[in-house]
Amino acid sequence: MSTHSYKKNDDADSSVLPDKMSVYQECLQACNASPIQPKKCRKLLSKLLRLFYSGETFPKTESTSLFFSISKLFHNNDPSLRQIAYLAIKELCSVSDDILMITASIMKDIQNGDNIYKPNAVRTLSRVLDGSTINSAERLYKNCIVDSNQSISSSALVSSYHLLPISKDIVKRWINEIQESIVANKSFQTSSYTTHETNNYNRIPNSTYIYQYHALSLLYQFKSNDKMSLIKMIQQLNERKTLNNSLAQIQMIRFIEKLIIDDSKILVNNQLWPLFINWLNNKSDMVELEACKLILFNANKFNSEQQLHAITTLQSLLSVPRTVTRFSAVRILNKFAIKDSDKVSVCNLELERLINDSNRSISTYAITTLLKTGNIETVDRLIKSISSFMDEISDEFKIIVIDAIRTLSLKFPLKYKSMLKFLNSILRDEGGFNFKNSIVEAIFDIIKFIPESKPIALEMLCEFIEDCEFTELSVRILHLLGNEGPKSENPSTYVRYIYNRVVLENSIVRSSAIIALSKFALINDENLTKSIKILLERSLKDIDDEVRDRTILSLKLLNNNDNLKDAKNYLLPNYKYSLPILEKELSKYVNNNDKSSFKESFNINLIPKISDEEYKAFELKEKLSGKLNEIEKESEINNDENKRDDKNNNGKDSSNSNNNSNNSDDELIVSDITKYTLLQQQYQSELSQLPEINEYGTLLHSSNKFELTEKETEFVVYAIKHIFSKHIVIEYNIENTLDEIILENVNINMEIDNEEYIEQFSLPIERLEPNSKGKIYLSISRPENDNEEDNYIMANIVNSLSYISKDLDSEEGDEGFADEYQIEDLLITPGDFIIPTFTNDFTKEWDELSIENSSVFNLGNENSVNLQETINKLIKNFSMMPIENSEIISSGKNNHTLKLFGKSILNKKIACTVKFAVSSKSVMMKLIVRGEEEVLVEERSNTIE
Amino acid sequence: MSANTSLYSIDAILILDSDKNRIFTKYYKSPHENTENDLITNPKKQKQFEADLFKKTFKQNSDIILFESHTIVYKEYSDFIVYIIGGLSENEILLYNVLQGLTGAFEIILDSQLDKRSLLESYDMVVIAIDETVDDGIILETDSSAIAARVTNPPTEDVGNIKIDLSEKGFLNAFNFAKKNIAERLQQGF
Repeated sequence: MSTHSYKKNDDADSSVLPDKMSVYQECLQACNASPIQPKKCRKLLSKLLRLFYSGETFPKTESTSLFFSISKLFHNNDPSLRQIAYLAIKELCSVSDDILMITASIMKDIQNGDNIYKPNAVRTLSRVLDGSTINSAERLYKNCIVDSNQSISSSALVSSYHLLPISKDIVKRWINEIQESIVANKSFQTSSYTTHETNNYNRIPNSTYIYQYHALSLLYQFKSNDKMSLIKMIQQLNERKTLNNSLAQIQMIRFIEKLIIDDSKILVNNQLWPLFINWLNNKSDMVELEACKLILFNANKFNSEQQLHAITTLQSLLSVPRTVTRFSAVRILNKFAIKDSDKVSVCNLELERLINDSNRSISTYAITTLLKTGNIETVDRLIKSISSFMDEISDEFKIIVIDAIRTLSLKFPLKYKSMLKFLNSILRDEGGFNFKNSIVEAIFDIIKFIPESKPIALEMLCEFIEDCEFTELSVRILHLLGNEGPKSENPSTYVRYIYNRVVLENSIVRSSAIIALSKFALINDENLTKSIKILLERSLKDIDDEVRDRTILSLKLLNNNDNLKDAKNYLLPNYKYSLPILEKELSKYVNNNDKSSFKESFNINLIPKISDEEYKAFELKEKLSGKLNEIEKESEINNDENKRDDKNNNGKDSSNSNNNSNNSDDELIVSDITKYTLLQQQYQSELSQLPEINEYGTLLHSSNKFELTEKETEFVVYAIKHIFSKHIVIEYNIENTLDEIILENVNINMEIDNEEYIEQFSLPIERLEPNSKGKIYLSISRPENDNEEDNYIMANIVNSLSYISKDLDSEEGDEGFADEYQIEDLLITPGDFIIPTFTNDFTKEWDELSIENSSVFNLGNENSVNLQETINKLIKNFSMMPIENSEIISSGKNNHTLKLFGKSILNKKIACTVKFAVSSKSVMMKLIVRGEEEVLVEERSNTIE
Repeated sequence: MSANTSLYSIDAILILDSDKNRIFTKYYKSPHENTENDLITNPKKQKQFEADLFKKTFKQNSDIILFESHTIVYKEYSDFIVYIIGGLSENEILLYNVLQGLTGAFEIILDSQLDKRSLLESYDMVVIAIDETVDDGIILETDSSAIAARVTNPPTEDVGNIKIDLSEKGFLNAFNFAKKNIAERLQQGF
């Protein structure tokens, strides 16, 4: 080591780390010296800690020798030395051997040591113990938890919490002490060793009650599965108003949230709501925000008055000076506005003030919220105020704003002119690829969904590609021009722009321009076709292969004068392949281990085709409601924080809840329809592996899962009905949740109450191990009437499970005993014959369907009915697709209309409108069904499950 | 989205200087559980995370940022920044209270001299203050005076090998010791 750097080490101001080896040597020396010099040792240990906290590590042997040297410091009783020694030991515990050796010394400290370092000793002890030695510390922990010194009690509680993974049942033994300490009065104690020269206003509080937070959370670990005692605890604690600590109150709110999420039956009734009122007017904004979060993110559990209460609280928090509070409040509102923008609009005034907030995340949240809550009158004004500060914000924020504008313009199609003007002006600004891409993306959407905007928007794009520096964008725009240009009134104007690209650009852009050009030749305009052919011929000698190839292909197709159909099929296909499925199938094909499968070429027909119409309708739905998925996405990130993979690198942004726009497009398409298709495919391939069932032909439809038992019973059973043209196959999924019982020969005994259905055979499970799952298939033949419509016959199936049960540890010869287990009935319902389908014009379809039937149901008392839940259930049981976002209940209304659409397995349309009316006495539901098949319409309207 | 009922609410505490060098970094994990979280186990990833975070926050004056699936509150001083890092759905104010508690405690123990130099000079007190605020991810205390009152001052001076007691009693003891010794010598020697 050079003298130069050595000098530097002595200088505390230097950011150069002290040398590892010399710190190590000095530590060993100082700790082994006699007598021990506390000041010198504390300085050395702080150097050692500096190394640890800068990411330096020592090899295991050296760590261990450090560990033992430091333990010698226990000979000196200076508390200030002892405190830092404990910290060093705590850091070394995870990297040293034989740490148990120090247990006795630590325990001695906990019993007789000075109060100032007792808490440190308690916390360090929990690092030293392991599952086998914790018994010896039981008494110590109990005593410390009930100690009246809050620091000691807290440390013991936190340590117990740390110990849970290795010894939950031992910690459980001191549950009484834990419970006691929630309500006990403990105080904060100071010591002469810790008096700092403080200014007088830094008074040390008598008690900070933080131990309540620790004790409560620890207690929850043992009570989380026992709902009743948990509710009792919550009520007791609140009646006596014992919780003085804000963190403890937050924890309480979270327990309630878990409760109401886990158990749909718990409604926030009169007993719980007063608690919320207290929390919403708490002196700590932390508690207020947590309560608002709970209410607004679980809005279906609260009535609109309660939701408004929470929004009012947030409204007042929007104008507090503390940045973090404003941020949190606006973040909650922004998320809530996705679901229910009307209610948030009361905060519009406060939100508008936040547009110019110094924290850019806050202003972006404010704008995007405003864009969601905005109505058609305020749109123009909003856009103006946004334009004024677009220059000041970074690309990431711009993308968020553009994304919001995009959603807005689809919401208010009439305003497309001002939107396009705004987009056009920012398109000319400086900016990176992602920024430009999101603008182009937005314009694309406007073109797609607002046909009137086409001429202006296409013109804008044409001008943009004249000096566009991003190849990828040029290619996409050219593709769009090729598709949309020929349909416009004056196609030839676009030809010039496109041909300019052929002359001026790189080969990638040139080749896509060629295809775009050839599309213009497909409209029946002979002059245009002729000139395009001439233009194309010039590219025959292009230096790039791809450009030449495409030119030759296009010319060849176009010159085949008699039959332009081929050309149209190749150049302008009117369907799309489902890309996610295509990708999946291709990778399956390529990764197949069986080489012989390559003899056959890839079968493109496996991939479902989506017609343009369907694709567009479906896409619009996704775009409008797309934001909803982001909520889920965000929570996914939470659930699985380890998955901080590359995606985050793309979305490296402060507000990642909003800016995933770029990659979200691909993901969004994997939604309802695709999910449905994928699931059907999975079922189909599973079923086709059973020879008996394979011969039934194609699977027409599979129902949702129906639970036939409670989730907590010994055997959990759910069933899926698979409909074939002449058969129904019921798949019973059975889970054996018992630890010690093996089931053998598990089968279903069923009785069907309609004679037209005939049971054929079942495929039982031979052996079901403890905690494992299995499937039983049961086949029933469907009635075969000549008129296919008459085959929609409803039925009730009574099921029971039969099996031979055996003990896990029983001897081999044991035959076990036969038993039966009753499970719930399964219905064959109209929904089993209906496939959820999307339509982009529900009203039109509705008007065209001739057969109608209707019925009225009384759902019962207002308080006992959760409308959102009823709707979700209807959608599931009806097996139809909710249209026009009608599955989401808008706020505060007493009536709601749900629109559902589907197709029967015979490919006939069926549509439902379900009207709900809520009055003080009851909730009424009127169901009107229209369709093409009389039987199905009648059955549908007469039953709700 | 369900809230986290666990006590583990702090993912990491960082103090970086204005050249994004580490002054203090600690990524927390439960002491008796293993984790595969990259950010905790992989030092390279940590460095990258810190560099990116620093780039996003340096001289931004905005107190809070959502960054790589974390909610992060921070406070910038003349030549260092303190970060408190929590989960994405963590209560923002809760994190901020931890930050305030900790920085408030720094102010008390460093006697309002908040700069990198005094942080490093009193590194022992700084690390004890952090340890008294957060214990492996669990918040121990958020009140700055209470945190500061748990931090011991360094020992004032080292005692040498020989204890010299200068009080009256000390003199008397020394005198008695000498008297006894001399008396013994006299008896033996002569």
